[in-house]
Amino acid sequence: MNADPNAPAGASQRLVAVRENVAIARDTYRLRLDDPILARAILPGQFLMIRPAAEGADDPLLGRPFALYDVTTDAAGAPTAVDVVYLVVGRGTAALAQRRPGEQLSVWGPLGNGFGPPPAGPVIFVAGGIGQTPFLALGRWWLGKMSYGLQSKGLDPPCPGSAVGLSSSSSATLLYGVRTAALLAGVNDFRQVGIDVEIATDDGSAGHRGFVTELLARRLKQGERPARIVGCGPSSMLAALARLVEPFDIPCEVSLENHMACGFGACFSCVVPIRQPAGTIDLRRVCVEGPVFAASAVEWPASASPH
Amino acid sequence: MVDLRVTLGRLQLKNPVLVASGTFGYVREMAGFVHLERLGGVIPKTVTFRPRAGNPTPRTVETSSGMLNAIGLDNDGISHFREHHLPYLRTVGTAVIANIAGEDEDQFVAMAELLGQEPGLAAVELNVSCPNVSHGLDLGLDAQAVGRLVRRVKSACPLPIIAKLTPNVSDIVPIAVAAAEAGADAVSLINTIKGMAVDWQRRRPVLSYDIGGLSGPAIKPVALRMVWEVARALPQLAIIGIGGIARATDALEFMVAGASAIQVGTATFYNPPASENLLDELTGLLEETGVAAVRDIIGTLRSNRVPIQPD
Ligand SMILES: Cc1cc2nc3c(=O)[nH]c(=O)nc-3n(C[C@H](O)[C@H](O)[C@H](O)COP(=O)(O)OP(=O)(O)OC[C@H]3O[C@@H](n4cnc5c(N)ncnc54)[C@H](O)[C@@H]3O)c2cc1C
Ligand SMILES: Cc1cc2nc3c(=O)[nH]c(=O)nc-3n(C[C@H](O)[C@H](O)[C@H](O)COP(=O)(O)O)c2cc1C
Ligand code: FES
Repeated sequence: MNADPNAPAGASQRLVAVRENVAIARDTYRLRLDDPILARAILPGQFLMIRPAAEGADDPLLGRPFALYDVTTDAAGAPTAVDVVYLVVGRGTAALAQRRPGEQLSVWGPLGNGFGPPPAGPVIFVAGGIGQTPFLALGRWWLGKMSYGLQSKGLDPPCPGSAVGLSSSSSATLLYGVRTAALLAGVNDFRQVGIDVEIATDDGSAGHRGFVTELLARRLKQGERPARIVGCGPSSMLAALARLVEPFDIPCEVSLENHMACGFGACFSCVVPIRQPAGTIDLRRVCVEGPVFAASAVEWPASASPH
Repeated sequence: MVDLRVTLGRLQLKNPVLVASGTFGYVREMAGFVHLERLGGVIPKTVTFRPRAGNPTPRTVETSSGMLNAIGLDNDGISHFREHHLPYLRTVGTAVIANIAGEDEDQFVAMAELLGQEPGLAAVELNVSCPNVSHGLDLGLDAQAVGRLVRRVKSACPLPIIAKLTPNVSDIVPIAVAAAEAGADAVSLINTIKGMAVDWQRRRPVLSYDIGGLSGPAIKPVALRMVWEVARALPQLAIIGIGGIARATDALEFMVAGASAIQVGTATFYNPPASENLLDELTGLLEETGVAAVRDIIGTLRSNRVPIQPD
């Protein structure tokens, strides 16, 4: 960890080539960026900013934040590229979907705090909508199948699966809720690395019909007690998750997706009310102090409205 | 080698490339992206007398070639700034210009007095123009009030004083005149332009504060026009040009229009090393053009209009 939380380790900006930009679900794409520098440095839970506009174009103006989906490695195990998975929701993501292999994009990262080391025991990930993206790399890491960010630990090049002397989690389950089955993205990626996936859809077109938090409620009611619960998705879902887990005394973390303009702490757009150790509530920048927070530290809006 | 040094009143800078308050954090956030010591100077986020929580989110929204912000001067106050940020700022290796905003004249004066006793500051910039915090009349709209403020701050603080003016006035010239007559070392032009974004389906403004300040490439023409108007009215007054500056050509446009230095603002958000890249480009462009000293191009713009001969 950095001594100074305001100085993200090694964040830098580069023009990198698009290697792939392929549809993997309705309105959902996987973008692969040729960026060995970022691939070596970024940790699960951290994010990068991608500027969808062409170099020199002023519209759309700002970068957009995206979680690390995964890092790809070459035959020797050296990190070569960074994958993000994104849903087209507006101008920026629509522009990104137009970018073709070989084109250059401006990216900066790694940004944010990322997740801590694997908890011993089973872990449950709860994802709403496109909030599943941080959990592929996290699952691979916590299950001991891949190490990330080894450059910063002086072990270069890393080999996938090499143990770094840390214990790993005994199992990982992804509870994954979307509006409808066509939006399910990357389910096979998760299963391939050994993450169990249970699905909920609003319309019942796949898995449980209803909210993803209902899947978790059922498990908790049946006596399941994971070592850690981690959520990512719309703030209304995360607020419901925090309320649900609170009585159980299970450590719960959330990865927030606040609106950002810079991603590196300069603009103060992305603040969220965080309960401080002293009991006061302070607005903190999600891009530097997050995006991962203890669910109990976040002061959730009384009635969080969906995006 | 191009001579990049510029002088603004009592303030001397090694080059004209500064970064705008509120767009560069407290500077330490940028250390990974920019060789800070290469910049002409840095200006951290506005400091207020007491801590301010700022506005609720959403605080920013992108617009066509620009963005609106209503951060609301979120900061921890002058004491925290002196204890926590100044020690770091003294180590960055370039001119540090503190930017302050008071809720009233007395707070401005009190802060300037405190900062004047601190070592390692090059100047103080007065933010008399924040469209999203004033509850009532904005001090920066009133030429007399700006003049009085600059005069009082100058007598309380030995550092060079820069007045950062609001563009949200029908005529910027009288305000600049008041700042100049009161002895300001320079004026910074411009702060953000009041604007708003609307979500018609929800029948709501997009920003939590309803209105915000527009910045980015979209405002460059307005900023250029204001710099030129002030430069023509007050050829002796040093001007710092701000507004949509992202590249060296933008900087040169402001400088020929009359700016002695420039600030890179929003461009840092969408291109974190923008300020340093601009400096490299600027040096290259001046060399190519055969300009020996950057100060030689300041205010060299000539009007296209044929002067009307008095009869
Ligand atoms: C740390 C972090 C990680 C993220 N990871 C991913 C990811 O892996 N995959 C992915 O698809 N998206 C991710 N997001 C969300 C993504 O950044 C936004 O969807 C994107 O910026 C929208 O840009 P746009 O121009 O297409 O939409 P806009 O035109 O800006 O907005 C369209 C709609 O999306 C909403 N929106 C805008 N920005 C955000 C935001 N930051 N979060 C949530 N809603 C937003 C707007 O309110 C509006 O309703 C992440 C956000 C953060 C902060
Ligand atoms: C998010 C944001 C925050 C800002 N905060 C401040 C501030 O605290 N104090 C200040 O004097 N100006 C502030 N500004 C205004 C800028 O310093 C600058 O005057 C303005 O953005 C125009 O320049 P630009 O188009 O290059 O951004 C802010 C601008 C933005 C976009
Ligand atoms: S996005 Fe700019 S400070 Fe967090």
